[in-house]
Amino acid sequence: MSMPASEIAPLLDVKDLKARVGGQIVLNGISLTVRTGEVHAIMGPNGSGKSTLAYVLAGRPGYEVLGGSAQFEGHDLLSLAPEARARAGLFLGFQYPVEIPGVNNAYLLKAALNAARRERGQPELDAFEFLSLVRAKTQLMHIDDSFLGRGVNEGFSGGEKKRNEILQMLVLEPKLSLLDETDSGLDIDALKVVAHGVNSLRSPERSIVLVTHYQRLLDHVVPDFVHVLARGRIVRSGDRSLALELERRGYDWVSGQAAA
Amino acid sequence: MNEATTAMRAGVLDRVLRDYRGIAADLPGDAGVRAARARAAARLAELGWPSARDEQWRYTNLRAFERLNTFHPPAAEERDAAAALAALQAQIELPPALPGFERLIFVDGRRTAGTHPMLVAPAEHAAASPVWPAEQRLGLLADMFASDAARLKIRGEAAIEILFVSSARAANAANYPRLELRLEPNSQLRLIERHLGAAAPASLIACNVNIELARNAVLTHYRLQQCSRDSIFADTLSARLEEQARYSVRSIAVGGGSARTSASIELAGRGASAAWQAIAVGRGEQVHDIALKVEHAAPDTRTEELFRGIADERARVAFSGHIRIGASAPGSQARQSLRGLIEGHAEIDLRPRLEILTDDVRASHGATTGRLDEDLLFYLLARGIDRLTARALLKWAFLGDVLREIELPALRAEAERLAAGQLPDVPPLGALS
Repeated sequence: MSMPASEIAPLLDVKDLKARVGGQIVLNGISLTVRTGEVHAIMGPNGSGKSTLAYVLAGRPGYEVLGGSAQFEGHDLLSLAPEARARAGLFLGFQYPVEIPGVNNAYLLKAALNAARRERGQPELDAFEFLSLVRAKTQLMHIDDSFLGRGVNEGFSGGEKKRNEILQMLVLEPKLSLLDETDSGLDIDALKVVAHGVNSLRSPERSIVLVTHYQRLLDHVVPDFVHVLARGRIVRSGDRSLALELERRGYDWVSGQAAA
Repeated sequence: MNEATTAMRAGVLDRVLRDYRGIAADLPGDAGVRAARARAAARLAELGWPSARDEQWRYTNLRAFERLNTFHPPAAEERDAAAALAALQAQIELPPALPGFERLIFVDGRRTAGTHPMLVAPAEHAAASPVWPAEQRLGLLADMFASDAARLKIRGEAAIEILFVSSARAANAANYPRLELRLEPNSQLRLIERHLGAAAPASLIACNVNIELARNAVLTHYRLQQCSRDSIFADTLSARLEEQARYSVRSIAVGGGSARTSASIELAGRGASAAWQAIAVGRGEQVHDIALKVEHAAPDTRTEELFRGIADERARVAFSGHIRIGASAPGSQARQSLRGLIEGHAEIDLRPRLEILTDDVRASHGATTGRLDEDLLFYLLARGIDRLTARALLKWAFLGDVLREIELPALRAEAERLAAGQLPDVPPLGALS
């Protein structure tokens, strides 16, 4: 017996969220509901608040919530520390992943995975189990095994950094992945690899929110819903055809609507 | 400077000279050694006690010397080496021996255990004590007071560990460890020099190290300073490198209440190269002050300097790196990377200085000081890593540039253990995986 979608508690329920950063109000009343198994795309012009939404949900310091709420599986997300949000199953794929020389990739992956497993009441993986799990994912992401011994993102190209973000996501298997412009700066081959990685995680148990400027990624990861953000508000929601219409008509079309 | 400070400086110098005169006749050595001691005393009298007004000594905790009761070393004990070693082991746990290394133990400046075929008597030792320049004048203390030395002349290959230990007998007294080392042409030495001590209030450890590397000699010199937090550690090192010689220092300083290292390296022969890779970690009220001068005096010489300092709580960590590339050193290269990490109410002072007197030089330097990077921290938190572990990982990453250079796994683990002991709330690196 299957329940109608409306009766399943949403994985993420954002209501009238307002936030500011650096004294400037960037989110101006966002409401967004993401149910388990759904893929959403959030599109919008530069400065529309897309990345801010991702950061606020992940708990980045310096982003001040002024009002509204965000529930994750029915719990108040905004009261949790960033590490607790991650362990609860929220993953932020960074637009600009930092380089951390001296902390190697394998080390970070293992520490992160074991933190998540402890949270889920699962036993920690030993070195052998961990490596066999990671190797399968590195192959999927076309990442050479030697990278595991290198510093986190140290000396990586832009594309390698993005693939590394997706690798981390695949290893951690989060309930909700917020991917902040993971497609930016990728050539078409890298974009396909990244899209393939994202699609491999797509399942009725997981949800994905793609934050993107261009509709190009959505050719490869087809969303169930598309939202258009302008001036800190969702000004339009629809299905995939909205992204195509946006591509055709440009962001001026929705920006004009936001002003109205 | 006010009159009280002047009086204080004169006071310390007067006490050094008075203590020296009181004991000079009882110190070991022939007429030549006595004359050398007297010359050192005269030189210190001429230079005066260092002043914090002098740029070279600005960050040293000179006041700590005012609290010393005496500059006398503890009286020699009449007992055999085995008994002395047993007495020491009752006071302090000695670090585990490292495979492949011969161990020599000096207690309160005198050799107590171990021997090595390359240990030589003073007469056979070619290295003369250098005439210390003003910025290394604390080296004169050991020249005046030391009663023994580790004198080594290396031929072929060797691996030696020297423990300089302060015993409880040295409480309220002073220790003068000395190391005189000559590497013959084409020889290779891996040397571990460790300074450690039983907990003892307000003692002075004034250490001298003189090194000569002959043509094509290679020295890898690990230095671990883990003296008692009550002690003053005053360390003076001089190294001279002939043609194609290579000298690498990997230094971990965590001990001493007040520590000062005054080091100088002269690249005297064509193609000589020096690498100084150092960590200093201070907490509480500790002061670590390191001053290193490298003189490029021959063509095609190279320097690589790497310093990573962490100061926590109210500690002060200072590193001054002066690299001088003389007119006689075309084709030389120098790289300097100094970084400081501040926690709590601590202070870090990094002073890079490149002085270049010739064209045809490749040189780079960088010095940065700051707190833990919030962006890096957030990245780790966003992966579910708890805050304490994330901060610890970043601190280990910071020290990693130097720790990675310690090739001996057992010694690297020791160095990590020492560093972890200095970092509040930071678990050992192995415990984080």
